[in-house]
Amino acid sequence: MEAVLETDQLGKRYGRTWALRDCSLHLPEGRIAALVGPNGAGKTTLLHMAVGLLRPDAGQVRVFGESPYDNTKVLAEIGFVAQDTPLYRDFTAAELVIMGAKLNRRWDTPLARSRLAQLGIPPDRPVGKLSGGQRAQVALALALAKRPRLLLLDEPIASLDPLARREFLQALMGSVAETGATVLLSSHLLADLERVCDYLIVLHASRVQLVGPVEDLVAEHRQLVGPRGHEPIAGVAAMVRASHTDRQSTLLVRTNGPITDPVWTVHEVTLEDLVLAYLADGDTVTSHTAWGVPA
Amino acid sequence: MGGAGMIWLAWRQHHKQALFTLIGLVVLAALMIPTGLAMRHTFAHLGLPACVRALGHAELVPANNETCGMAFNRFRNQYDTLTSVGVLFLVLPLLVGLFWGAPLVAREIEHGTHRLVWTQAVSRRHWALVKFGLVGTATLATAVVYGLGMSWWLTPLSQAGQSRFDPFLFDMQGLVPIGYTLFAVALGIFAGTIWPKMLAAMAATLAGFLGLRIALAVFARPRFLPARVLTYPVQGVTAEPNPTVGDWVLRDGVRDSSGKLVAANSRIACPENPTGPGADCGRELGIGPGAYNWQLYQPGSRFWLFQSIETGIFVGLAALLLYLAVRRIRRIA
Repeated sequence: MEAVLETDQLGKRYGRTWALRDCSLHLPEGRIAALVGPNGAGKTTLLHMAVGLLRPDAGQVRVFGESPYDNTKVLAEIGFVAQDTPLYRDFTAAELVIMGAKLNRRWDTPLARSRLAQLGIPPDRPVGKLSGGQRAQVALALALAKRPRLLLLDEPIASLDPLARREFLQALMGSVAETGATVLLSSHLLADLERVCDYLIVLHASRVQLVGPVEDLVAEHRQLVGPRGHEPIAGVAAMVRASHTDRQSTLLVRTNGPITDPVWTVHEVTLEDLVLAYLADGDTVTSHTAWGVPA
Repeated sequence: MGGAGMIWLAWRQHHKQALFTLIGLVVLAALMIPTGLAMRHTFAHLGLPACVRALGHAELVPANNETCGMAFNRFRNQYDTLTSVGVLFLVLPLLVGLFWGAPLVAREIEHGTHRLVWTQAVSRRHWALVKFGLVGTATLATAVVYGLGMSWWLTPLSQAGQSRFDPFLFDMQGLVPIGYTLFAVALGIFAGTIWPKMLAAMAATLAGFLGLRIALAVFARPRFLPARVLTYPVQGVTAEPNPTVGDWVLRDGVRDSSGKLVAANSRIACPENPTGPGADCGRELGIGPGAYNWQLYQPGSRFWLFQSIETGIFVGLAALLLYLAVRRIRRIA
């Protein structure tokens, strides 16, 4: 399958700090991918490099096989909704649709207008006077009107209330089902994405921790509960996270075969278990050093 | 799309500013045109055009024209205070820089809308060129109207002896307002690419503009070309500097026969072979026979040359700042 978005050893540095480092991943066509990580993990940096706003400091990023930086040909294929869904607040929704038509070669005005009509967005009020949910819908309608092959959304629902959040995701899913666009959606709210995404990218501490189709990831990870000190275990490829009591160990592992050792009780994992396990091994060591206290 | 589309966007974003600027210019014109006409009327009424013609362009003129001298004085006394209105015009380029220039990029970044507009199918360079081009053209038009309008308004005053080279008068007429205004706008735009907050960009524009303007006016302008020296005698009221040519006197004073400066910032005229109470004209100051008046000056005829030099400096700086701004914009995300 062709990769819509591909990165290789991608890195971006602000001063001496790496916002993103050694990021290698590929996003196949037609996927709806969740880009998950805590605030400051590098999600926005990755999206900005994918949409060509930022130039990488290391490695490369390719969208439809081309470097997106300052590349209007690639930009025409990408619909982008930036964090906090910025819009010209003194423009009306109708004027924003006109603006899109003026600034893009391919632009579906009827699509944008009918979407906004369906959502009950008033065409003649400055968008600054609309609710946050309505503004997010306007931003999504503008991104979709480009008829993009890749849709990048940077925390579009973070600031919305639960109802607006559900409506936004419904609108997104409905239109993606029609057009078959590839979607990359960043969020630190996993619960919302679990229902809609079939591909997962976990970023933590500026690095990629986990990439792949959700089904495969869930299928190859298991939670094991058993007596302490019984490692190694046949069928386990990697230990993701372990927690111990005096006698018992609870392990989240990546498997490469069936686990048949009867001392271990094997549980399936949910997407949320998985993501939390990969996010948990943070850099607490540096934190302890920085605070001058023993780890 | 492309060119026409960006022009649509720029006009949609800035038409209110354009309208306010236009209203401002109309209000100023409503103030300046009647007063300018009134000044011209008085000027003609006092018979001053004939005096100006009679004095010509010579540096030194016979010092015996009492009628003209008094008429010039009357005119100046009546209208000198009006030039204080001109201070209003000194801040005009700065205002344009603050309200046209500084928000241009800073506002987009402060509101995050650069991520909306720079991710449509228009390159950032194209965006910048159209926006800068349109705002630059509007700025240029404003500044030309204002500079030439003020030149017209101030003509009677400078012909009546108020030098066009005077610090404030030089700065509010002719070509330099064009240079100042373009520079202020470019500085505002550039500051917005460095400090992505409108207030910070405006503060930087204010500081940068005032700093450079003052430094250039005080330190550089007197040295654009080597100054000239003019001397004329203390004794014998035969000649005095022509008041209408508008020389810029940098320093003046009275020197004794050995060339030593005996009285700074003054000029003295004594009658030939004085008798009576004023006979020892200036002797208590140490002015003896052979003393002469001395002035270091830039001739009034260099006015347009100096205007061009100063305008050139500011226009050049504006071009440099815009070039740097376009480069910076490519690195903002």
